[in-house]
Order: sequence, then structure tokens, then C-alpha cells
Amino acid sequence: MSIDLKMAWRNIWRNSRRSILTILAIAFASLLLVFMLSWQFGSYDAMINSAVKIHTGHVQVQAKGYKNKRSIRLVVPDPAEVGDILEKTPGVAAYSFRTNAFSLVSSKERTYGAIVIGIDPVREAKVSTLEKLVHQGNYLSAGDTDQALLGKLLAKNLLVGLGDELVVLGQGRDGSIAATMVKVKGIFSSGQDEFDRSTIHIPLKYFQDVYTMYEAVHEVVVLVKSLEYVPEIKRTVAAGIENTNKKGHLVALDWMELMPGLIQAIQMDLVSGFIFYIILIVVVAFSILNTFLMTIFERTREFGVLMALGTTPGRLTKLLLIESTTMTMVGIVIGIIGGSLITWYFQEHGIVISGASELMRQYGLAERMFPQLSVLSVVIGSGAVLVITLLTALYPALRVRRLRPVEAMMSV
Amino acid sequence: MYFQLGWRNIWRNPRRTLVIMTAVIIGVWSMIFLGALMRGIADQMVRNGIATLTGHIQVHHKGYRNDPAIENSMAEPQAVETALNKLLPPGAQWTSRVRVNAIASNARHSSGVTLVGINPHREGKISFIGQAITQGRYLKPDDKYGIVVGKALVDKFETKLGRKLVLMSQDTGREIASRAFRIVGIFRAEKEATEKQFAFVTMPVAQQMLKLRKSISEVSIILPVNQEADQVATALRTALPSSDYEVQSWQELLPLVTAVLKMYDGFIFLWFLVVFIAMGFGIVNTTLMAVFERMREFGLLKALGMKPWWIIREVLTESFFLLILAMVIGNSLGFLSVFALSGTGIDLSSLAAGLEFVGMSRVIYPIIQGKDVIMANVVVFILGLLVSMYPAVKASKFTPVEAMAHT
Amino acid sequence: MTTKSIVDLCLSLFVFVALFAKANGQDAQALVEAAVSYYRGEASISTVDMTIHRPNWERVITIKAWTKGQKDSIFIILAPPKDNGNGTLKRGREMWTYNPKVNRVIKLPPSMMSQAWMGSDFSNNDLAKSDSVIEDYTHTITGTEIHDGKKVYVIKSMPKPEAPVVWGMQKLKIREDHILLSQEFYDEDLKLVKAMTGQQIQMLGGKLSPKVWKMQKSDVKDEYTLLNYKELMFKQDLPDSLFTLSSLKNPGR
Repeated sequence: MSIDLKMAWRNIWRNSRRSILTILAIAFASLLLVFMLSWQFGSYDAMINSAVKIHTGHVQVQAKGYKNKRSIRLVVPDPAEVGDILEKTPGVAAYSFRTNAFSLVSSKERTYGAIVIGIDPVREAKVSTLEKLVHQGNYLSAGDTDQALLGKLLAKNLLVGLGDELVVLGQGRDGSIAATMVKVKGIFSSGQDEFDRSTIHIPLKYFQDVYTMYEAVHEVVVLVKSLEYVPEIKRTVAAGIENTNKKGHLVALDWMELMPGLIQAIQMDLVSGFIFYIILIVVVAFSILNTFLMTIFERTREFGVLMALGTTPGRLTKLLLIESTTMTMVGIVIGIIGGSLITWYFQEHGIVISGASELMRQYGLAERMFPQLSVLSVVIGSGAVLVITLLTALYPALRVRRLRPVEAMMSV
Repeated sequence: MYFQLGWRNIWRNPRRTLVIMTAVIIGVWSMIFLGALMRGIADQMVRNGIATLTGHIQVHHKGYRNDPAIENSMAEPQAVETALNKLLPPGAQWTSRVRVNAIASNARHSSGVTLVGINPHREGKISFIGQAITQGRYLKPDDKYGIVVGKALVDKFETKLGRKLVLMSQDTGREIASRAFRIVGIFRAEKEATEKQFAFVTMPVAQQMLKLRKSISEVSIILPVNQEADQVATALRTALPSSDYEVQSWQELLPLVTAVLKMYDGFIFLWFLVVFIAMGFGIVNTTLMAVFERMREFGLLKALGMKPWWIIREVLTESFFLLILAMVIGNSLGFLSVFALSGTGIDLSSLAAGLEFVGMSRVIYPIIQGKDVIMANVVVFILGLLVSMYPAVKASKFTPVEAMAHT
Repeated sequence: MTTKSIVDLCLSLFVFVALFAKANGQDAQALVEAAVSYYRGEASISTVDMTIHRPNWERVITIKAWTKGQKDSIFIILAPPKDNGNGTLKRGREMWTYNPKVNRVIKLPPSMMSQAWMGSDFSNNDLAKSDSVIEDYTHTITGTEIHDGKKVYVIKSMPKPEAPVVWGMQKLKIREDHILLSQEFYDEDLKLVKAMTGQQIQMLGGKLSPKVWKMQKSDVKDEYTLLNYKELMFKQDLPDSLFTLSSLKNPGR
């Protein structure tokens, strides 16, 4: 350890109470930031994951133009081929096939237009929360044929309950009339009114039969293991379908393209979060500025002596900066350790926010929120604390240069 | 005497006092200002929700909420009117509406909308539509073919003012009812979804088109005081037979907004605490410094027979001044910045899609709520004095000998 | 010339134009009514091949149709076999659809009226409001053309201000022998939205009329629907019982 470092270390502990309080203030700020950022990042992941899990998925493979036109003839003709690519793509958690058709859905009393969605019951349960959203009756099982899951609002509009029959009338892929009678097996509620008012799910095989789809589907919905993999997987899948398919008929779309509102909502939350953090750090900075300032006032005499002995003002500045940096670093390290421990605890056990839980349930989210510790959440918060505290420390450290040895030694 | 002494003492080292005061001022300012911003967001959500044809209380035919079909209309609005006239507090406003799902179409486009038949005069005082017309004009009571639609719908339909829109719906006899309207006014709303959803015509026209006679779909009530909703709703519930009517307050009609409000309450309090802790360290440290500097002084006082309690009081008085002064400035700054923004608000239009997603407004106007201001100040003041106890007690415990020995 | 004589001239010109317009309006209205009743007759029974053409895709449906007056009609699909027995009943402006597989009649809700009929370029509304051109429009003859040596009237039909129609204008071409040659649909900017044109005029059911009708939207190139009359028979009358829900379910023809 150099002599400067040793001196700084000893100086810090000359007034241990004060130093500890200062270090604690810094530790508190970085602890809070580590936790809050982990919390924010964690909640974004939760938000994205639960939003995509209602229906959209992280990545979808569709026919080009299907996203806007949604014509029954714009199909993925050979879904098994896309499935093979996905099987080989690392990071894919699950995938499923879906078909959609706007059709007439009619009960004894009422008739509404709705989107009939064909799902593979087993695969669907792995990519979406649909199974958990079924609050009345049961989810579809593998062998089901003329059974349907109905959105809660659609069921209300049609005045039907479990076991009631519905006529579905639409147009098949070949233009033929697609008609069938289905029984309501379950009623789901996602909390998203549009989805609950306008969709009805039937087994994929049955859909393909009724709507003359043959093997074709409209969407291959992919759920990935972790959000970070999305761009990579999208690239891989896009390259894969390019190789197997004739002249770019298919496209891979990620959740940001499928749900543009979500990413903006997240950016907004991030920005507003940062405003809060910056203000918090500034308050902390002013809280500890006094400690740094005090050092020079108290030790004016001491500095005077040092200067008289030939210590250059530059060296004094350096000494002071080493002291404040050391305190800051100690504070930040304690903050990071404490913050990480708290985050880690909640990462394991989850947090329930009272009041928010009913909100969550409405959207089919888990009531428990899990913060997510990451290098980013640790580095950003403590980095900001470090920069701002060091800027604060700079002022007293530079002021020391203005000291005149003689006057300084005279002071009490 | 304490006050004088305390006041002088805090100015013995003005720089130090100013620095710690700055910390408290920024803290208090952020509490007031950010609290007001959050309240602004929440308030806007509530107001939007209420103004978007919800009102504080709604009365429907029983079953309408579950099944908003034309069969569930109120055939005798008189009964409701009588109850309203008797029970509503002075200053309350109400209006009735016809509200059905319909299909709007022109030569190239068609889409589902909510056809709302309104009493233009009454409606204007109750919901957003009275102030929302940006092109053309609002409905007149005798408009036979006038329709007011949202900007987003007009854009989607590639149409404009003066153009025709054909609306189709099912009448009470389950026949298809269709009628041509001319766009006389275009409205803007906070949310694009609202602009795409609602199409307003006059109530007699809607009743005639749908063969409703005098029937209406809902009654919407605005109260002079938001908080009375529950109470008035209960009164209405007892007055109207529950076999025929259902009465709901906005808290029940807008469950999501209610949940968000609750969450914001918790969040604001948490923010107050966090900011306080951040400045708490500074307050303790600064007061400690001030106390230790004056160790000799306190020792001397003690030797002269000053009771420890007096010393504690002396130190707390100093903190008191410091806190009060900082709070006054912080509050003023908070109020000032809220005031500065109250005219223009904070425009977040560039994030429109995201705002739509979380249900926020395009422009946020901060709003100061009395209870937040009180809570912020109480937190700072009480906790500020509380943490100052530590240095104060410390000072009271200096023994004269020890203190005199200290340089 | 004095000012007065100019005014007089203008006035008489105005009166003349107004009178002409009125007479023209009556003529045009009569012409349109004559054309419509010419092609619909009192009642008719026909068999039509409907070809729905899309890029890379085409489908032909054979439909048997009964019509009576302007308001009632019933359509039953004969081929392809898969769709055999599916039917649509139109009475006035209401429509019902029947599917034999589920054996249910469904009344089309308003939300379906602007959707395509059987996937074609005709919307349900085009069918439901087929009598609209007579009731909801005022007609003026704007010119004449010569087609195959016959005089053809070009008629501009503007919707009555309060008529519940989406079009901004229709343009009809009617031959002097009352054969409707084309019907064009315009939006309110008077831009063409879609057009139906008759082709191959020949004897059908004892009358001259286009054998093939083509409906095409103006903003797409390779998409259209063809109606090709295989058989057409005009009747004096058809029983009302033909245009009922039970007849739709169980066509006793």
C-alpha cells in the first residue's frame, strides 16, 4: 500500500462515526438502486413474458403479409418443417401451431362475428397461459374434437354456458363453407377485453378439418427460454426458413413487432424510473457533501502544516480524493453486497404487492413479482452513485488548493 | 431563548447549514413534485375513465352490464328520473343515453363501433365529448342526420367532415336497422381506442332507428364531489327496485383504475420514506458534526449545572429550525414547479402507443393533493427530529471533564 | 342588349334547363326501373356458375337462384358437392344462411353485412340492398353511347341525401332495349370502388341479356368474381312459400 493510501485510510477512521454514516448513506443509495433496478428489469421481463404468454409468443413465423391482412389463405404450408428448424434452435422453450379464421359464431339466441382459433391443446399449454385462464369448465385435452374454449365476454354476449352448443360458420382455406357445431368445454378470462370478447378456441386438428386447411397453419408461435435469446433466435429461424422455403414466403416476427405498444410502455417506465433515481442520488450527494467539506475545515491547520512542510496542493487534492473515493467504494461495495443479498432473497421468494395483486390476476400474471439480479442492474445503479459522489467530492478536494499555509496554520 | 439560541447556532457555520438544507430542500421538493406528477397521472386516469362515458355512477337495466344488448334497455326512464331528482345532491348532473354496438361503413371501410345516442346539452356537461370537438361542430338537439366521430376513425375510414357514414345495428325487433349520417363533428380523445370506438348521434334519432320508443340504455351521473359516489349509489340502490335496475359507482365500473390508484398510494409513501432515509444520513451527520464541534461548550454548560434534557432540547431546536426552513423552501419550490407545469403539462405524445398500453394520458398535469403534502412534511419533520435525537442525546451525555479535555 | 333582356334570357334558360332536368330525371328513373325489372322479371329461376378469381387461386361454385320481385330471393349451392345444400335466403333487407351439416339457419347479424358473400367480391350488403338503386337514388342521363349499333344511356345515379347507402355515386349503362350493361360504384370522392360489367349478350330465358357478369374492385388487378348464367327462366310468379326459412332448410324444388 502506498503511503498516500495508508494516510487516507487512517484519516477516514480518525472520525469513525462520521465516516460510517457517510459510507452508510452511499451504501443505502447503491443498495436501493441495485434492488430497484433488478426489480424494474425483473418486472419488465415479467411484463413482456406474461404479455406474450397470453397469446402472442416471443417470436412468430407467419406467411408474409398475414400480420396485416389475416387472410385464411396466407398460410405456413408445412409447419412441421418450421418445427424441425425450431427443434434445432437452442434457446427455444416451446412452440405451437395456430390457425385463425374470422367466422360467425351462433348460439340459440344470438349470433356474433368472432375469431376462431385452432390450437394444439398440448403444445399450446406450453407456450401460452390459456390453460390457466380457463376459470370455468376445463381446458381442451389431446383427443378433443368438437369442443371449444370461449372468451368470458363472448360467452356472456352469446348467452351460453358450459356444455351449450354453438354453430360456427366461416369460410375454409379452399373457399368452401366451413361449418360445424361445437360444445363449450371451458370459458376463459384473460383480463384483456378484446381477447375475451372476440375469440373462441377449438382443437387444431378439428379446425384443419373443418376449414380444409390440410396440414397448413397460420402462425407458429415460439416461446424462448430467456428474453435475451429473442434476437438471436429470430435470426436463426429467419435464416432457417429462408433456406427451406420458396422465395421468402414466410417471415419471423418478434414480440416487439407483434406488440409495439409494450416496448414503448417499458421505455417510458424506464425513463420515469431514472428520474426518480437521479433525484435520490442527488439528495444523497448533498447529504454527504458536508462530510467531505468538513474534512477540510476541521483539518485546515493540518493541511497548513503539510503545505508548509512542502506538500504540494496537488498532492493534498489527491489525498482527499483518495479518502473520498475509498469511502465511496466501501459504501458501494457494501451496497452492492446488501442489495444483491436482498434481491437474491426476493428473487427466490418473490414479492407480493398488496393492491397490485388483483391487477396482476386480471391480466393472468402471477401475483408474485420476482426481481432479477443482473450485471446490468448492479453496474448501472452503483455506477451512477459513484460518478455523482465523486463529483461531489471534487469540490472540497479542489478547494484545498486555495489554502495559504500561514493562514491555515493560524486557524483553529 | 431556546429559539434565539438555536437560530443563531445554525448560522454559526452557514456553509454547512446551507449544504444540509439543500439536501432537505431537494428531498422535500422531489416529494412534492414527483408526488404531484404521480397524482396527476392517476387523476388523469380516473378523470379519463369517468369522462369516457362512465360518470361517477351509472344506472342500467338489470343484466345490462353482463349483457349490453338492446333487450336490456330501461323501458321506463321516468322511474329512474324521479328517483334521481329526489336523491341526487344539489349540483349533481345526469344524462341518459342509448348505447348499442353497431357497424359503421362507408364505400371502402367498415368497422364495429359503439353507437351512442345522447342528449347533446346534458351530455356536454357530463362526459368528455362536450369539449372534445376539434373539427366541425357538436351535435344539436334537432340533428336528424348528424353524427360525431373520433379522429382515428375518420383517418381509418379515409373520410372527412360532411361525408356520409352508414350505421347498421339490430333493432328491438331483431331486424337490421340502418341509417345514413353525415359527419358534422370530429372529436379527439386521450386514447386512440376511444376515438375509434364511439360514434355520437342524438338520442331521439337513435331511439327511432332502433325502434326503442322511450327506452334508454343507461343513465350516467356526475356528482359535485367524487367521494360521495358510494353513498349516493347506495341511496339509489334502495330507491330503485333491484329486480329491474343495477346501480354502480365508478370504482366498480373501472376496477383497473381503482387498483392502480391503490398501488400509487403505496408507492408515493414508499418514495417519501426512501428520500427521507437518503437525507436522514446527512441530517444525522451534520448535526453530529455541529455537536462535536461544540463539545467544550456543552461540557461547560453541563459543568454549570445545565440539565441533560435542556441540552437535548437545544440541539433539537436547531434541527427544528433547519428542518422548518428547508421544508418551507422545498414546499415552495415544489408548489412553484407544479404551478409552472400546470398550464402546459408534460407532453408525452411521442410515446403514444406505450401510453395507450398502460392506459395513461398523452399530457400529464401534476396535481398537488393536500394529503400528500401533509404526509411529506410530517415524514420529514417527525423523522427529522427523531434522527436528530441521536446527536442530541450524545451531546447531553458529554461529561464536563471529557468535554473540556477535547480540543 | 339591355340588362333586362340578359336577365330574361338567363331566366328562360334556367327554366328550360330546370324543365329539361326534371323530364330527364323522370326518363332516367323510368329507364332504371325498366332495366331492373327487365333483368329480374316478375320472378326467375336460374343456375349460375360463380367463379372467384384470385392470384394463384380460383374457385367455381354452382348456385341455383330463385328471385321474386325486387326483394325476395333464395340461393342454394349445388356444387362443389362439399358445399351442396348451403343456402342464403334474402327477404327484404334481412338475410339468413343455412348449412346442412349443422342443420341450422343463422340470421346474419349487422356485423356480417359488409363481409364478402361466399368469399366473392359481392358483399352481403350488395345482395341485401339490391333494390337500393331504385329506391335510394336520383338518376340523370348524362350522355349516350353507341354499342353494337344500339344506343346506350349513361346514367349518373346520386344517392338521396338521407338514403342509408355507402356509395357516393353509381354509374349505370343501360341499352335502349333496357339491358343493363354495367353498374359502377363510386365513393364520395367520386372515385371508382368497384364495377360490375355484363358480357356476351345473348338470348337467355327468352330475353336478350348478358350471360356473364364480372364484378371487380378497382384497386386490385388480378381479383374478380364472374357470374356465368347456365340457365335462366322467367316466371310470372313463384309461391311465397319458396322464400321461407323452411324452404331454405329443405328446398322442395
